[in-house]
Amino acid sequence: MVDTTTMQARSAGSLRVPRYAGWIGKAVGSGLYRHTVGRLADSRRARLALLAGVPLFWIAALHIGPIFQMGRISFMTDYPQAPDGGPAYTLANYELFFSDQLYFMPFIRSLIFAAVVTISTLVIVYPVAYYVAKIVQPKNRMRALLLLLIPFWAGELIRTFSVIMLLANRGAVNVALRELGFIDRPIPMLYTSFSLSFGVIYLLALYMLLPLYSAIEKIPTPLIHAAADLGAGPLQRFRRVILPLSKDGIVSGCSLVYLTSVGVFAAPLLLGGPNTVIFPEVIATLFHSSNDKWPEGAAFAMLLLAVSLSTVGLFMRVIGGRSVRLM
Amino acid sequence: MKDFTATRRSTLKLLAAGTGVLAAPAIIRPAFAQSKVVNITTYDKFVPQSFIDQFQKDTGIEVRIRLTDDQGKQYNVLSAEGETPTTDIVTVTGHRLPQFIGSKLLTPLDTGRLKNWDKLASAYKGAPQLTVDGSVYGVPLLAGFEGLARNTDYTKASDSWAIMFDQEYKGLTSYIISDFLQITMRYQGNDGDFVAYEGKPEEAQAATNKARDYLIQNKDMVRKYYDAGSEVQQMFVNEDIYVAHSWSGPASKLIMDGHPIEISVPKEGTYGFLYSFNVVQNGPNTDAAYTFLDAILSSPEIGAAMSRQSGFASAFDGVDKVLNDKERAAMTLPQEQTERIQFFSSVNRDMKNEMVDKAVAEIKAA
Repeated sequence: MVDTTTMQARSAGSLRVPRYAGWIGKAVGSGLYRHTVGRLADSRRARLALLAGVPLFWIAALHIGPIFQMGRISFMTDYPQAPDGGPAYTLANYELFFSDQLYFMPFIRSLIFAAVVTISTLVIVYPVAYYVAKIVQPKNRMRALLLLLIPFWAGELIRTFSVIMLLANRGAVNVALRELGFIDRPIPMLYTSFSLSFGVIYLLALYMLLPLYSAIEKIPTPLIHAAADLGAGPLQRFRRVILPLSKDGIVSGCSLVYLTSVGVFAAPLLLGGPNTVIFPEVIATLFHSSNDKWPEGAAFAMLLLAVSLSTVGLFMRVIGGRSVRLM
Repeated sequence: MKDFTATRRSTLKLLAAGTGVLAAPAIIRPAFAQSKVVNITTYDKFVPQSFIDQFQKDTGIEVRIRLTDDQGKQYNVLSAEGETPTTDIVTVTGHRLPQFIGSKLLTPLDTGRLKNWDKLASAYKGAPQLTVDGSVYGVPLLAGFEGLARNTDYTKASDSWAIMFDQEYKGLTSYIISDFLQITMRYQGNDGDFVAYEGKPEEAQAATNKARDYLIQNKDMVRKYYDAGSEVQQMFVNEDIYVAHSWSGPASKLIMDGHPIEISVPKEGTYGFLYSFNVVQNGPNTDAAYTFLDAILSSPEIGAAMSRQSGFASAFDGVDKVLNDKERAAMTLPQEQTERIQFFSSVNRDMKNEMVDKAVAEIKAA
C-alpha cells in the first residue's frame, strides 16, 4: 500500500531529515540514502524484498552454494586441481559407483539402516509424544516437554560419548548387571548394530518428538471422547481417529529423522563396529584417502543426497498427500 | 499480514548488516594474518599447554591450535585453501612430505633462522626422512612406531603379530585398517611399504590382495576399526579390547598413566615414522612461525613435555635426562625390538596409497 501523504510531502520537498553527526550524517544526507529509504517507504514489496533478501542470500550462499560446488567437483577428474592445470570434467566418478559393488553394499545398508531407525524412533517416541500431549495435565505439559528436551541441549558428540559410557564393557549397564549378579562377564554391547541403532535413535528422537507432539496436541479431545461414546475401543480409537489426525506429524517426523539418519556420520564412526560401516563413512574415507579422491567422494555424496531426497519426496507424496509441511 | 514500517534507523541497521555480511571475506583472512598470531595444525597433545602459555607471555604472539588426526585431512585443507592458507605450520610425517611438496604446499625450512637448530638429537638433524632434493622441510619433533599393544592382565605374552588372529581374543582386537593391512603384508612375508614393488604392480596387487583376504577372513576377531589414538586408548581403558595394533604414542601414554598395557615390536617387524613441524607455503605469519619453531627447540624440558603428553619419543637432544624412570620405561624398547623398526619410505607412495585405499574399502564393505 502506498502512503500518499509521505509521497506528497517528499515531492513538495518538505520531508524533514534529522541531522546526525559523522559518517551517519553523511550517509543520511546522501541521495542514495534518500532514494533507498524513499523506495522502502513507498513500496511494501521493496520492504519485503529487503527483509527476505538477507535470509535468502544466507541460504543460497552458505547452504545451497556449497552443494552446487560439491556437484561441480563430482564431475571433475581431479580435485584439488593440479597447480598448473585447468579443470577437466568426466562422468567416471558416477560410473565408479555403479561399476563397483564395493560401494553399493554400504549404500544399501545406509538406506535400510535409516529406514529401521526411522520406524524404531516413531514406535518409541509416539507413545511419549501422546502421553505429553494428551495425558499430562495442560499446566504441566511444558515442564514435561522441557524435561524431554534437556538432554538435547548437550552437543551431539557429548551424547554419543554418553552412550559409550553406558554400553562399554566397563560401562554403567554392564557394571550394574554384574553388581546385581546377573552376569559374571560383560556383555559386548558397544560397537555392534545394537549400540549404533540405540545411539542414533537417542540422538534423533527430538526430530520425531516435536512434530508428533505438535500434531497430537492439535487433535480435539472431544473427538476421541465421541469415538469412545460411539463404542470404539482403544485400538479402534487410535487407528480410526488419533492416527489419521496425527498423520502430518508422523510424516514430518519420519522425513526429518530419515534425512538426518541417512547422512549421520559421527555416531556410526564412534558407536559402530566392523560390520556396521555405512555410506557416509565410505564417503568420508574417500575425502580423507591418501590419493585425494574428492571427486569420487563428491559424486557419492550427490548420489546419497539425490536418493534420500527422492525417497522422502515419494514418502511425503504417497503418505502425506499435499498438506504436509516439514516445520 | 501486518504492514511493516521502515524507519531510517532500522533501514540503516539493515544496510549495515548487509554490508557486514558482504565484507566478511575481506575481514576473515586478515584475522588469520596478524604478525602477533601463529596458526598451527597439529595432533592432540603434541604442543604442551604450559609451553604455549609461556611462549605467548614471552613473545606476545598468540598461538592458535587447529587439531587434526590425519595426514590426509591436513593435505586436503591446505590444497583446498590454495594460495591463501589459513595455517602457518602443519604436522607432517616424513614419508608423506613428498605429497605435500609435490603440490607446492610447503616451503623449505631456512634452518639459519633457527638459533636452536643444534639442540636436535644428532640422529634427527638433517634426517633423510625430512630432506627432499637437498632441502630440509621440517623440524623433527617426535618419533613413533606401530606396535603390538596388549592388556597384560588378560593376555599372554607374544612375540608375533599372530596374537591378533588368536581365536582366544575373538572380538577383542582393534586396528587402523590401512596401517594393519601393511603390517599383515609384512607378517605374511611381503613388503608392506611397497618399496620392493616399484614397477611391479601385479606383484604388489597380489601381496595386497593376500593380506586383504586374510583380514576379511578374520573380521570376526575385530571389535572395532579405529582411526585416532584416543579411540584405542578408550577401548583399552573400558576393556572393550585386550589386543591392538597401536601407534606407540597412545600405548606409551597409557603405560605412563599406570594402565596394565605393554607395547612391543613383534619378530616380524614393524614400521616407524617421524613427525615434523613444517612451514606452509604462503602462510600468513611466516615470521611468527619461525619464532615459534625456534622457541620449541630451545630446551629439552619442552621436548620432554611433548613426550609425556603424546607418548612418542622426542627428537630433541637431552630429553632422556629430563624424563623419569617410569616415563623412559614406557617409551623404551629392548635393543632387539628397536632393530625391528623400519621407517616408512616415501618411495612408491602413489602405488601404495592406491592399492591400500582400495583394499581398506573392500575390507570395510566385506
